[in-house]
Amino acid sequence: MRLQEEKTALSKDGKAEAKIYHGVYDVLMAGMLASSALYAVGMVLALIHPHTIELTRDYILRNYKINIMLEGLAHFRPGALFFLATVLLILTPVTRVLISIYAFYTERNMRYVVVTGIVFLVIVVTVVLGRMGLQ
Amino acid sequence: MYYSWNFAVPLFIAAVVAGFFGALLGVGGGVFIVPVMVLMFHLPMKVAVAASLVSVIATSNAGGSSYVDQHITNLRLGMFLEIATTIGALSGSILALYLKDWLMLAIFAVMLGFMGYVSFATRNLDDQRIARGEFALACPDRLSAYLGLRGVYHDEALGRQVDYVVTGTTAGTSIALLAGVASGLLGVGGGVLKVSAMNQYMNVPMKVSVGTSKLMIGVTAAVGSILFFLAGLIHFYVVAPIALGTTLGAEMGTRIMNRLHSAALKWLFAALITYLAYGMMAKALTLRFHIHLPMPM
Repeated sequence: MRLQEEKTALSKDGKAEAKIYHGVYDVLMAGMLASSALYAVGMVLALIHPHTIELTRDYILRNYKINIMLEGLAHFRPGALFFLATVLLILTPVTRVLISIYAFYTERNMRYVVVTGIVFLVIVVTVVLGRMGLQ
Repeated sequence: MYYSWNFAVPLFIAAVVAGFFGALLGVGGGVFIVPVMVLMFHLPMKVAVAASLVSVIATSNAGGSSYVDQHITNLRLGMFLEIATTIGALSGSILALYLKDWLMLAIFAVMLGFMGYVSFATRNLDDQRIARGEFALACPDRLSAYLGLRGVYHDEALGRQVDYVVTGTTAGTSIALLAGVASGLLGVGGGVLKVSAMNQYMNVPMKVSVGTSKLMIGVTAAVGSILFFLAGLIHFYVVAPIALGTTLGAEMGTRIMNRLHSAALKWLFAALITYLAYGMMAKALTLRFHIHLPMPM
């Protein structure tokens, strides 16, 4: 009887976990495809119209600003496409973490909501430290 | 720098080759692409590390998804160890902001040597361990039992289900933390460390270790990338050919990996690692002490 109960619990667990696996897989694939496509289009555009860029931190801080990027996106500028691709790429694993938190929450698996929540917290701390302007 | 075919195309091709060998040798592209950017393209170490870290996310997405699809990845174990790897990555990338370039180069060279040693010294004894039932019969430690870290996967090569019980969470977590630091500081995935931690210390079968490591690499590299992004170290024009190239190269490498003889690969790996470690150390000495050793590239 006990064994039967355990087996049912396990298979229910397995089904729920399969859903999480599916969600994780979808996010990873979508993130990879979208960012690769944007990088590829941007590269072609950049190579059709070669131009000088500086390899300095100064250039990065001066040019990679959100309003310049938004304007660049409207004009299909390669730098802006690379920017968007990179943001999407970085957000892919972050989204995966968020989806996992939600999925564990719907399963009422609070231990793993906490585990995954801590990972998300580390990401938040990273953003805060980065925004505070390290160095 | 003039962004034209002369610069972007060779960088892209170098990234394809680095991604290809990375996948072929099971170490990921970062290990090769950082030295290539620094030694061949003379990019600043920090810009190279930041660009490599973004490309590590891309290859992790691509490589990790197939393991997730086949349910080989242990999601619970991955999410548990990610706590350690992300904290490590945050510390490593903060360190990278403050360390001098020559010191990062020297640490990178040491890491290459260490990686060469680990992958040369570890033998994959999984088939014997599975046959003896070693993976299934171990006793879980308290944390492993509390978090239900045990797992099961279908091994296609052996044609059977393999059950395993996770142990050694303390040792595993400590090594995962170190792998995170290496990732954030040096722009690599740190997969070799994570895989050996899980396989050697946590009683996790090799295939599960590899799949779970690839999943963890994504979020670990994302943490480092976010910090570099906000600190203004990610140059998108450099990232684009690197990320695209390593992803493509890694796809090709994974496809032909299974058809190659592994003993020959080990020697190739040892030769490549020695060559790159020497190059990075030579550059570090040049930057710090103005000593000019003959440079390989």
